[in-house]
Amino acid sequence: MASRPGDKHPALLALTSSALLLPAYQGVRADAPPEFIELGTRYSKYEEDNTQGSKTFGGSSQRYEVDAAQFHLLAPVLDSWAVAVDVQWEDMSGASPWFVGQSLDGGPKVIMSGASIEDTRTEVSVTTRYYYDRGNAGFNYVHSDEDDYESNAVALDGAFNSADGMTTYSAAISTSADDIEPTQGSVPTNTLKDNKDISSAWIGVSRIVSKNAIVRFGLAYTYRDGFLTDPYKKNDRRPSERNEWAFSTGYRQYFFWPDGALQADYRYFDDDWGVASHTLDLAWHQNLGERTQLIPFLRYYSQGEADFFANIADTDKRHYSDDYRLSSFGAVSGGLRVRHEIGNWALSAVGERYETDESWGVYSGQESPALVNYWRYSFGLDYIFR
Amino acid sequence: MKQLAIYLFVLLCLSGCETVQPWERGTLAKREMQWQPDPMETSLQAQVNSSKEASSGGQGAAGGGCGCN
Repeated sequence: MASRPGDKHPALLALTSSALLLPAYQGVRADAPPEFIELGTRYSKYEEDNTQGSKTFGGSSQRYEVDAAQFHLLAPVLDSWAVAVDVQWEDMSGASPWFVGQSLDGGPKVIMSGASIEDTRTEVSVTTRYYYDRGNAGFNYVHSDEDDYESNAVALDGAFNSADGMTTYSAAISTSADDIEPTQGSVPTNTLKDNKDISSAWIGVSRIVSKNAIVRFGLAYTYRDGFLTDPYKKNDRRPSERNEWAFSTGYRQYFFWPDGALQADYRYFDDDWGVASHTLDLAWHQNLGERTQLIPFLRYYSQGEADFFANIADTDKRHYSDDYRLSSFGAVSGGLRVRHEIGNWALSAVGERYETDESWGVYSGQESPALVNYWRYSFGLDYIFR
Repeated sequence: MKQLAIYLFVLLCLSGCETVQPWERGTLAKREMQWQPDPMETSLQAQVNSSKEASSGGQGAAGGGCGCN
Protein backbone atom coordinates (compact mmCIF):
# COMPACT_ATOMS: atom_id res chain seq x y z
CA MET A 1 0.00 0.00 0.00
CA ALA A 2 1.45 3.33 -1.02
CA SER A 3 2.03 6.15 1.41
CA ARG A 4 -0.33 9.08 1.43
CA PRO A 5 0.92 12.30 -0.17
CA GLY A 6 1.30 13.92 3.22
CA ASP A 7 3.41 11.16 4.71
CA LYS A 8 6.93 12.12 5.64
CA HIS A 9 9.82 10.18 4.28
CA PRO A 10 11.01 7.64 6.88
CA ALA A 11 14.60 8.72 6.55
CA LEU A 12 13.56 12.32 7.04
CA LEU A 13 11.86 11.35 10.27
CA ALA A 14 14.97 9.48 11.32
CA LEU A 15 17.09 12.57 10.87
CA THR A 16 14.72 14.92 12.65
CA SER A 17 14.55 12.49 15.55
CA SER A 18 18.27 12.63 15.92
CA ALA A 19 18.33 16.37 15.67
CA LEU A 20 16.08 16.89 18.64
CA LEU A 21 16.59 14.05 21.04
CA LEU A 22 20.11 13.37 19.91
CA PRO A 23 20.58 10.04 18.19
CA ALA A 24 17.42 8.19 18.85
CA TYR A 25 15.10 6.14 16.76
CA GLN A 26 15.70 5.22 13.18
CA GLY A 27 12.85 4.64 10.80
CA VAL A 28 12.21 1.46 8.88
CA ARG A 29 14.68 2.58 6.23
CA ALA A 30 17.90 4.28 7.17
CA ASP A 31 19.64 4.46 3.81
CA ALA A 32 18.12 7.39 1.90
CA PRO A 33 18.39 11.16 2.51
CA PRO A 34 15.28 13.37 2.65
CA GLU A 35 13.85 14.46 -0.69
CA PHE A 36 12.55 17.91 0.28
CA ILE A 37 13.36 20.88 2.50
CA GLU A 38 11.11 21.08 5.54
CA LEU A 39 10.37 23.94 7.94
CA GLY A 40 8.47 23.70 11.21
CA THR A 41 7.63 25.80 14.24
CA ARG A 42 5.86 25.17 17.57
CA TYR A 43 4.62 27.41 20.34
CA SER A 44 4.01 25.71 23.70
CA LYS A 45 2.69 26.82 27.07
CA TYR A 46 3.54 24.86 30.23
CA GLU A 47 1.68 25.79 33.43
CA GLU A 48 1.94 24.13 36.85
CA ASP A 49 -0.97 24.12 39.31
CA ASN A 50 -0.56 26.28 42.40
CA THR A 51 0.77 24.43 45.45
CA GLN A 52 -2.15 23.57 47.73
CA GLY A 53 -2.40 25.81 50.78
CA SER A 54 -2.68 22.81 53.12
CA LYS A 55 0.72 21.57 51.94
CA THR A 56 2.68 24.80 52.28
CA PHE A 57 3.77 27.27 54.90
CA GLY A 58 2.41 30.61 53.84
CA GLY A 59 -0.67 29.43 51.96
CA SER A 60 -1.27 28.68 48.28
CA SER A 61 1.66 29.52 46.05
CA GLN A 62 2.00 30.00 42.34
CA ARG A 63 4.48 27.64 40.69
CA TYR A 64 6.33 27.47 37.41
CA GLU A 65 5.17 28.40 33.94
CA VAL A 66 7.11 28.26 30.69
CA ASP A 67 6.54 29.69 27.22
CA ALA A 68 8.51 27.82 24.57
CA ALA A 69 9.07 28.40 20.86
CA GLN A 70 10.70 25.83 18.59
CA PHE A 71 11.97 26.19 15.02
CA HIS A 72 13.12 23.39 12.76
CA LEU A 73 14.84 23.24 9.36
CA LEU A 74 15.73 20.07 7.50
CA ALA A 75 17.41 20.11 4.11
CA PRO A 76 18.97 17.56 1.77
CA VAL A 77 22.52 18.45 0.70
CA LEU A 78 24.09 17.00 -2.47
CA ASP A 79 23.05 13.38 -3.09
CA SER A 80 23.94 11.67 0.16
CA TRP A 81 23.88 14.29 2.89
CA ALA A 82 21.31 16.15 4.94
CA VAL A 83 21.50 18.88 7.57
CA ALA A 84 19.04 19.76 10.31
CA VAL A 85 19.01 22.92 12.43
CA ASP A 86 16.78 23.24 15.49
CA VAL A 87 16.39 26.26 17.73
CA GLN A 88 14.40 26.32 20.95
CA TRP A 89 13.71 29.38 23.06
CA GLU A 90 12.07 29.31 26.50
CA ASP A 91 10.91 31.95 28.95
CA MET A 92 10.45 30.61 32.49
CA SER A 93 8.93 32.29 35.55
CA GLY A 94 7.37 31.38 38.90
CA ALA A 95 8.39 29.81 42.19
CA SER A 96 9.79 26.36 42.97
CA PRO A 97 10.00 24.36 46.23
CA TRP A 98 12.89 25.60 48.40
CA PHE A 99 12.74 23.06 51.23
CA VAL A 100 10.32 20.95 53.28
CA GLY A 101 9.77 21.62 56.98
CA GLN A 102 7.77 20.02 59.75
CA SER A 103 4.45 21.60 60.70
CA LEU A 104 3.05 21.76 64.24
CA ASP A 105 0.98 18.63 63.61
CA GLY A 106 4.14 16.78 62.58
CA GLY A 107 3.35 16.61 58.88
CA PRO A 108 5.73 17.90 56.17
CA LYS A 109 4.98 21.20 54.48
CA VAL A 110 6.84 22.84 51.65
CA ILE A 111 8.39 26.29 51.67
CA MET A 112 8.43 27.85 48.22
CA SER A 113 11.24 30.01 46.89
CA GLY A 114 9.05 33.07 47.36
CA ALA A 115 10.06 35.73 44.88
CA SER A 116 9.45 34.84 41.28
CA ILE A 117 12.27 33.17 39.33
CA GLU A 118 12.86 34.63 35.86
CA ASP A 119 15.04 32.86 33.31
CA THR A 120 15.36 32.33 29.59
CA ARG A 121 16.96 29.44 27.73
CA THR A 122 18.14 29.23 24.15
CA GLU A 123 19.14 25.92 22.58
CA VAL A 124 20.67 25.50 19.13
CA SER A 125 21.16 22.04 17.64
CA VAL A 126 22.89 21.22 14.34
CA THR A 127 22.93 17.72 12.85
CA THR A 128 24.66 16.54 9.71
CA ARG A 129 23.97 13.09 8.36
CA TYR A 130 25.55 10.95 5.65
CA TYR A 131 23.57 8.21 3.92
CA TYR A 132 25.12 5.14 2.36
CA ASP A 133 23.75 1.97 0.80
CA ARG A 134 22.90 0.18 4.01
CA GLY A 135 22.44 2.94 6.54
CA ASN A 136 23.49 6.37 7.75
CA ALA A 137 25.81 8.12 10.18
CA GLY A 138 25.20 11.42 11.95
CA PHE A 139 27.04 14.07 13.93
CA ASN A 140 25.16 16.38 16.29
CA TYR A 141 26.18 19.48 18.25
CA VAL A 142 23.90 21.15 20.82
CA HIS A 143 24.52 24.40 22.66
CA SER A 144 22.15 25.40 25.48
CA ASP A 145 22.43 28.72 27.27
CA GLU A 146 20.54 30.03 30.32
CA ASP A 147 21.22 32.85 32.80
CA ASP A 148 22.58 30.27 35.25
CA TYR A 149 23.43 27.21 33.11
CA GLU A 150 25.41 26.49 29.94
CA SER A 151 25.78 23.17 28.15
CA ASN A 152 27.77 22.03 25.12
CA ALA A 153 27.15 18.51 23.85
CA VAL A 154 28.29 16.45 20.87
CA ALA A 155 27.00 13.09 19.68
CA LEU A 156 27.74 10.50 17.03
CA ASP A 157 25.26 7.92 15.86
CA GLY A 158 24.89 5.33 13.16
CA ALA A 159 22.35 2.91 11.73
CA PHE A 160 22.93 -0.19 9.65
CA ASN A 161 20.33 -2.26 7.79
CA SER A 162 20.54 -6.04 7.48
CA ALA A 163 20.89 -7.42 3.94
CA ASP A 164 17.17 -8.17 3.70
CA GLY A 165 16.26 -4.78 5.18
CA MET A 166 14.20 -6.42 7.90
CA THR A 167 16.40 -5.29 10.76
CA THR A 168 18.09 -1.98 11.56
CA TYR A 169 20.91 -1.88 14.10
CA SER A 170 21.63 1.49 15.69
CA ALA A 171 24.15 2.91 18.12
CA ALA A 172 24.96 6.33 19.54
CA ILE A 173 27.41 7.97 21.90
CA SER A 174 27.37 11.47 23.35
CA THR A 175 29.27 13.67 25.78
CA SER A 176 28.53 17.04 27.28
CA ALA A 177 30.22 19.66 29.45
CA ASP A 178 27.82 21.71 31.59
CA ASP A 179 28.58 24.85 33.66
CA ILE A 180 26.36 25.98 36.53
CA GLU A 181 26.40 29.51 37.95
CA PRO A 182 23.28 30.03 40.07
CA THR A 183 21.62 33.43 40.04
CA GLN A 184 22.04 35.10 43.41
CA GLY A 185 18.74 36.58 44.52
CA SER A 186 15.74 35.57 46.53
CA VAL A 187 17.18 32.44 48.14
CA PRO A 188 20.74 31.51 49.11
CA THR A 189 22.28 28.95 46.74
CA ASN A 190 24.45 26.02 47.76
CA THR A 191 27.20 26.82 45.25
CA LEU A 192 28.46 29.90 43.46
CA LYS A 193 29.90 28.13 40.42
CA ASP A 194 30.34 24.50 39.46
CA ASN A 195 30.21 22.05 36.58
CA LYS A 196 29.29 18.53 35.53
CA ASP A 197 29.88 16.17 32.62
CA ILE A 198 27.48 13.71 31.05
CA SER A 199 28.57 10.73 28.94
CA SER A 200 26.13 8.34 27.36
CA ALA A 201 25.92 5.34 25.03
CA TRP A 202 22.97 3.63 23.44
CA ILE A 203 22.39 0.59 21.26
CA GLY A 204 19.15 -0.31 19.58
CA VAL A 205 17.62 -2.72 17.12
CA SER A 206 14.35 -2.36 15.22
CA ARG A 207 12.76 -5.23 13.36
CA ILE A 208 9.90 -5.55 10.89
CA VAL A 209 7.47 -8.04 12.41
CA SER A 210 4.93 -8.12 9.57
CA LYS A 211 3.58 -5.91 6.78
CA ASN A 212 1.76 -3.93 9.46
CA ALA A 213 3.94 -4.14 12.55
CA ILE A 214 7.40 -3.16 13.74
CA VAL A 215 9.17 -3.61 17.06
CA ARG A 216 12.30 -2.12 18.61
CA PHE A 217 14.51 -2.62 21.66
CA GLY A 218 17.15 -0.36 23.15
CA LEU A 219 19.68 -0.25 25.96
CA ALA A 220 21.15 3.00 27.25
CA TYR A 221 23.84 3.80 29.78
CA THR A 222 24.54 7.30 31.12
CA TYR A 223 27.27 8.46 33.47
CA ARG A 224 27.00 11.83 35.21
CA ASP A 225 29.96 13.29 37.04
CA GLY A 226 30.30 16.57 38.93
CA PHE A 227 27.86 18.88 40.70
CA LEU A 228 24.56 16.98 40.50
CA THR A 229 22.90 18.85 43.39
CA ASP A 230 20.08 21.32 42.75
CA PRO A 231 21.75 24.67 43.57
CA TYR A 232 18.45 26.32 44.56
CA LYS A 233 17.32 23.71 47.13
CA LYS A 234 18.19 24.42 50.77
CA ASN A 235 18.43 20.79 51.89
CA ASP A 236 20.08 19.12 48.93
CA ARG A 237 23.44 17.41 48.74
CA ARG A 238 23.68 14.61 46.19
CA PRO A 239 26.46 12.21 45.24
CA SER A 240 28.91 13.57 42.66
CA GLU A 241 28.46 10.53 40.39
CA ARG A 242 25.44 8.80 38.93
CA ASN A 243 25.26 5.66 36.78
CA GLU A 244 21.99 5.16 34.93
CA TRP A 245 20.66 2.29 32.82
CA ALA A 246 17.52 2.23 30.73
CA PHE A 247 15.92 -0.58 28.78
CA SER A 248 13.27 0.47 26.30
CA THR A 249 11.00 -1.23 23.84
CA GLY A 250 8.39 -0.02 21.38
CA TYR A 251 5.76 -1.45 19.09
CA ARG A 252 3.71 -0.06 16.20
CA GLN A 253 0.75 -1.93 14.74
CA TYR A 254 -1.36 -0.61 11.85
CA PHE A 255 -5.02 -1.62 11.43
CA PHE A 256 -6.61 -1.21 7.99
CA TRP A 257 -9.92 -0.86 9.79
CA PRO A 258 -10.39 1.71 11.21
CA ASP A 259 -7.32 3.13 9.38
CA GLY A 260 -5.32 3.74 12.52
CA ALA A 261 -2.27 2.58 14.41
CA LEU A 262 -1.45 1.59 17.96
CA GLN A 263 1.75 3.12 19.30
CA ALA A 264 3.13 1.53 22.48
CA ASP A 265 6.41 2.31 24.24
CA TYR A 266 7.84 1.10 27.55
CA ARG A 267 10.97 2.03 29.51
CA TYR A 268 12.53 0.55 32.62
CA PHE A 269 15.03 2.85 34.35
CA ASP A 270 17.47 2.00 37.12
CA ASP A 271 20.39 3.86 38.72
CA ASP A 272 22.88 3.64 41.58
CA TRP A 273 21.05 6.32 43.59
CA GLY A 274 18.33 3.76 44.27
CA VAL A 275 15.88 5.25 41.79
CA ALA A 276 13.97 2.82 39.58
CA SER A 277 11.00 3.58 37.36
CA HIS A 278 8.51 2.18 34.87
CA THR A 279 7.13 4.30 32.03
CA LEU A 280 4.37 3.19 29.68
CA ASP A 281 3.26 5.36 26.75
CA LEU A 282 0.21 4.45 24.68
CA ALA A 283 -1.23 6.36 21.75
CA TRP A 284 -3.86 5.67 19.13
CA HIS A 285 -3.20 7.37 15.79
CA GLN A 286 -6.55 7.69 14.02
CA ASN A 287 -6.64 8.86 10.40
CA LEU A 288 -9.75 10.80 9.39
CA GLY A 289 -9.58 10.82 5.62
CA GLU A 290 -6.35 11.66 3.84
CA ARG A 291 -5.33 14.80 5.69
CA THR A 292 -6.50 14.77 9.31
CA GLN A 293 -5.20 12.76 12.25
CA LEU A 294 -6.53 12.53 15.81
CA ILE A 295 -4.09 11.06 18.33
CA PRO A 296 -5.30 10.50 21.91
CA PHE A 297 -2.45 9.46 24.21
CA LEU A 298 -1.97 8.17 27.75
CA ARG A 299 1.19 7.89 29.86
CA TYR A 300 1.77 6.11 33.15
CA TYR A 301 4.92 6.68 35.19
CA SER A 302 5.99 5.29 38.55
CA GLN A 303 9.30 5.84 40.33
CA GLY A 304 10.88 4.66 43.58
CA GLU A 305 12.64 7.21 45.79
CA ALA A 306 16.39 7.79 45.93
CA ASP A 307 18.26 6.21 48.85
CA PHE A 308 19.02 9.63 50.33
CA PHE A 309 15.55 11.15 49.92
CA ALA A 310 13.52 12.14 52.97
CA ASN A 311 10.75 14.70 53.33
CA ILE A 312 12.54 16.12 56.35
CA ALA A 313 16.13 15.89 55.21
CA ASP A 314 18.73 14.73 57.70
CA THR A 315 21.50 17.20 56.98
CA ASP A 316 23.94 15.34 59.23
CA LYS A 317 24.16 12.60 56.62
CA ARG A 318 26.69 12.62 53.79
CA HIS A 319 23.96 12.86 51.12
CA TYR A 320 20.41 14.11 51.56
CA SER A 321 17.58 15.67 49.60
CA ASP A 322 13.94 16.65 50.13
CA ASP A 323 13.42 17.29 46.40
CA TYR A 324 10.02 15.87 45.41
CA ARG A 325 11.53 14.72 42.11
CA LEU A 326 13.54 12.13 44.04
CA SER A 327 10.52 10.84 46.02
CA SER A 328 8.30 7.85 45.29
CA PHE A 329 5.24 8.74 43.27
CA GLY A 330 3.05 7.77 40.36
CA ALA A 331 2.00 10.04 37.52
CA VAL A 332 -0.74 9.74 34.93
CA SER A 333 -0.91 12.06 31.96
CA GLY A 334 -3.07 12.11 28.91
CA GLY A 335 -4.13 14.33 26.11
CA LEU A 336 -4.95 14.76 22.48
CA ARG A 337 -2.89 15.64 19.42
CA VAL A 338 -4.56 16.91 16.25
CA ARG A 339 -2.94 17.39 12.86
CA HIS A 340 -4.44 18.68 9.63
CA GLU A 341 -2.69 19.06 6.28
CA ILE A 342 -3.56 21.73 3.71
CA GLY A 343 -1.44 21.27 0.60
CA ASN A 344 2.19 21.55 1.66
CA TRP A 345 1.18 23.02 5.02
CA ALA A 346 0.35 21.13 8.21
CA LEU A 347 -1.34 22.57 11.31
CA SER A 348 -1.05 20.78 14.65
CA ALA A 349 -2.25 21.23 18.23
CA VAL A 350 -1.63 19.36 21.48
CA GLY A 351 -3.27 19.50 24.90
CA GLU A 352 -1.93 17.49 27.87
CA ARG A 353 -2.80 17.15 31.57
CA TYR A 354 -0.24 15.63 34.00
CA GLU A 355 -1.19 14.61 37.56
CA THR A 356 0.83 12.97 40.33
CA ASP A 357 0.02 11.10 43.51
CA GLU A 358 2.15 9.00 45.83
CA SER A 359 -0.56 6.32 45.98
CA TRP A 360 -0.56 5.84 42.20
CA GLY A 361 2.96 4.43 42.17
CA VAL A 362 4.06 0.81 42.43
CA TYR A 363 6.88 1.77 44.82
CA SER A 364 6.30 2.65 48.47
CA GLY A 365 7.75 5.72 50.13
CA GLN A 366 7.02 9.02 51.80
CA GLU A 367 4.53 11.32 50.06
CA SER A 368 6.15 14.62 49.20
CA PRO A 369 3.96 17.72 49.72
CA ALA A 370 5.57 19.31 46.66
CA LEU A 371 4.39 16.91 43.92
CA VAL A 372 3.47 18.79 40.77
CA ASN A 373 0.48 18.77 38.41
CA TYR A 374 0.47 20.72 35.17
CA TRP A 375 -1.20 21.62 31.88
CA ARG A 376 0.64 21.83 28.57
CA TYR A 377 -0.62 23.22 25.26
CA SER A 378 1.15 23.38 21.94
CA PHE A 379 0.39 24.77 18.48
CA GLY A 380 2.42 24.03 15.38
CA LEU A 381 2.86 24.87 11.72
CA ASP A 382 4.94 22.87 9.22
CA TYR A 383 5.76 23.45 5.57
CA ILE A 384 7.43 21.10 3.13
CA PHE A 385 8.92 22.38 -0.16
CA ARG A 386 7.48 19.71 -2.38
CA MET B 1 20.25 -12.49 35.14
CA LYS B 2 17.97 -9.61 34.26
CA GLN B 3 20.09 -8.75 31.21
CA LEU B 4 20.08 -12.36 30.09
CA ALA B 5 16.29 -12.42 30.26
CA ILE B 6 16.18 -9.28 28.14
CA TYR B 7 18.48 -10.74 25.48
CA LEU B 8 16.44 -13.92 25.34
CA PHE B 9 13.28 -11.90 24.95
CA VAL B 10 14.83 -9.99 22.06
CA LEU B 11 15.99 -13.18 20.32
CA LEU B 12 12.57 -14.74 20.80
CA CYS B 13 10.85 -11.77 19.20
CA LEU B 14 13.26 -11.54 16.28
CA SER B 15 12.97 -15.21 15.44
CA GLY B 16 9.18 -14.96 15.21
CA CYS B 17 9.04 -12.37 12.42
CA GLU B 18 7.76 -13.12 8.91
CA THR B 19 9.80 -11.98 5.90
CA VAL B 20 8.32 -8.83 4.38
CA GLN B 21 9.51 -7.96 0.88
CA PRO B 22 10.55 -4.37 0.11
CA TRP B 23 7.47 -3.79 -2.06
CA GLU B 24 5.26 -4.85 0.85
CA ARG B 25 6.53 -2.16 3.24
CA GLY B 26 4.29 0.75 2.21
CA THR B 27 2.26 0.64 5.41
CA LEU B 28 5.42 0.67 7.49
CA ALA B 29 6.43 3.96 5.85
CA LYS B 30 3.29 5.72 7.05
CA ARG B 31 3.65 8.59 9.46
CA GLU B 32 1.78 6.79 12.25
CA MET B 33 4.21 3.84 12.07
CA GLN B 34 7.29 5.97 12.84
CA TRP B 35 8.91 5.87 16.28
CA GLN B 36 8.65 9.64 16.50
CA PRO B 37 5.98 11.00 14.13
CA ASP B 38 6.44 14.53 15.54
CA PRO B 39 10.04 14.99 16.77
CA MET B 40 9.52 18.55 18.03
CA GLU B 41 6.57 17.45 20.18
CA THR B 42 8.47 14.38 21.42
CA SER B 43 11.51 16.48 22.28
CA LEU B 44 9.54 19.01 24.32
CA GLN B 45 7.52 16.35 26.12
CA ALA B 46 10.70 14.46 27.03
CA GLN B 47 12.32 17.64 28.32
CA VAL B 48 9.33 18.45 30.55
CA ASN B 49 9.14 14.90 31.91
CA SER B 50 12.87 14.68 32.64
CA SER B 51 12.75 18.00 34.56
CA LYS B 52 9.91 16.77 36.81
CA GLU B 53 10.95 13.15 37.30
CA ALA B 54 14.12 11.37 38.44
CA SER B 55 14.35 9.26 35.27
CA SER B 56 15.25 10.37 31.79
CA GLY B 57 16.46 9.13 28.43
CA GLY B 58 16.51 5.60 27.19
CA GLN B 59 15.64 6.48 23.58
CA GLY B 60 19.14 7.43 22.53
CA ALA B 61 22.34 8.89 23.97
CA ALA B 62 21.59 11.41 26.72
CA GLY B 63 23.16 14.61 25.36
CA GLY B 64 23.53 17.72 27.51
CA GLY B 65 21.58 18.94 30.49
CA CYS B 66 19.70 22.10 31.36
CA GLY B 67 18.88 23.98 34.52
CA CYS B 68 15.19 23.27 34.04
CA ASN B 69 13.26 23.32 37.32
